[in-house]
Amino acid sequence: MVSELPYERMLQECLKGEFRVVNAHLPGKQKTLSDLLDEEYPHVLCRDGSTHLFKRKELKYLASLLSADEQKALLLPMLLGVGAGQGEVAVICLGEVEEKVIAKILDMSITPRQRKIVLYRPQLALVRKLLRTSTQYLFSPKSEV
Amino acid sequence: MPQQVLKVVRPTKIELIKLRRRLSLASRIQKIVKDRVSILILEFLQIAKQTVEIKSQLLAEFLGTYKALSIAAGYHGYIALEKELIATERDLEIAAGLRNVGGVRIPAFELKEAQGVVRGYSLVDTSSWLDQTAQLSGKCLETIVELAELQRGLELLGREISRTKRILNALEYLIIPSLQATIKYLYMKFEERDREEKSRLKRVKVLLEQK
Repeated sequence: MVSELPYERMLQECLKGEFRVVNAHLPGKQKTLSDLLDEEYPHVLCRDGSTHLFKRKELKYLASLLSADEQKALLLPMLLGVGAGQGEVAVICLGEVEEKVIAKILDMSITPRQRKIVLYRPQLALVRKLLRTSTQYLFSPKSEV
Repeated sequence: MPQQVLKVVRPTKIELIKLRRRLSLASRIQKIVKDRVSILILEFLQIAKQTVEIKSQLLAEFLGTYKALSIAAGYHGYIALEKELIATERDLEIAAGLRNVGGVRIPAFELKEAQGVVRGYSLVDTSSWLDQTAQLSGKCLETIVELAELQRGLELLGREISRTKRILNALEYLIIPSLQATIKYLYMKFEERDREEKSRLKRVKVLLEQK
């Protein structure tokens, strides 16, 4: 049988590992910006049991962009959905706060499509440069994010 | 390059279904791995760019600090300066954690800001040059911590990119083409069997007619 070949079985295991690795770092529960600012070491627990540390500098930068109510509504880390085979990345936004943050960073007006903001690679680089720890990638096997 | 056909013991429909399922899985994984590689490369290039910027910033800061230090040393004298600086030693606190970029765990360091900093030397006996030196060296320290994080990130990302690229190449040039070749081979086998069946039936028909 084909599956009995040791080389191929090894490759299959390797590929399964790839699937496991790419999304293992996602946060178990997102926290609001205001909660994170109150913490001594701002962090979230990930699904794989590791801790994701936020940079206080970034949190302060985000706080400077938003009002106190908006800080309570912004959930961090923001998820950047990467669809299979797509040249673009979508920011998954649950409210208008994410939209406001991205619009301010990119310095342009943004219209979300089905609660998602589509970012192209140069824009993604800009967002990731400023929000290195406040954003995380989410890999999706579907072609649509 | 002729693609190697997987060793299929029995050319059956079940085997074909299995192979097609495996091919679709492999193609899906290939897309994800491709995306992952492109994201990792994007991050790698960004970190590389930032590392260069931070390194040149650190060099400029070191230049400023040493300049201020030599002026302070000239003003106070080495012995007096050393005497003042003995009391300035303090422990540094660095918050260390991890951040994850596409499955790569990169360390994140942050120098904890000391609240109400008491430098340790007498402000009455020393000049503003010493203050400036202390301020500049504090900045240098922050930049060093940032550079350490970036350089480690660069190293880890580079290693992961080469590993993932190998997987991607294996998928792109070995697994998927061999699966496709095997599927093609099975289709050819089935067609051949159909043709054999047809000719056999014709032969039987002729034999029956002769009787």
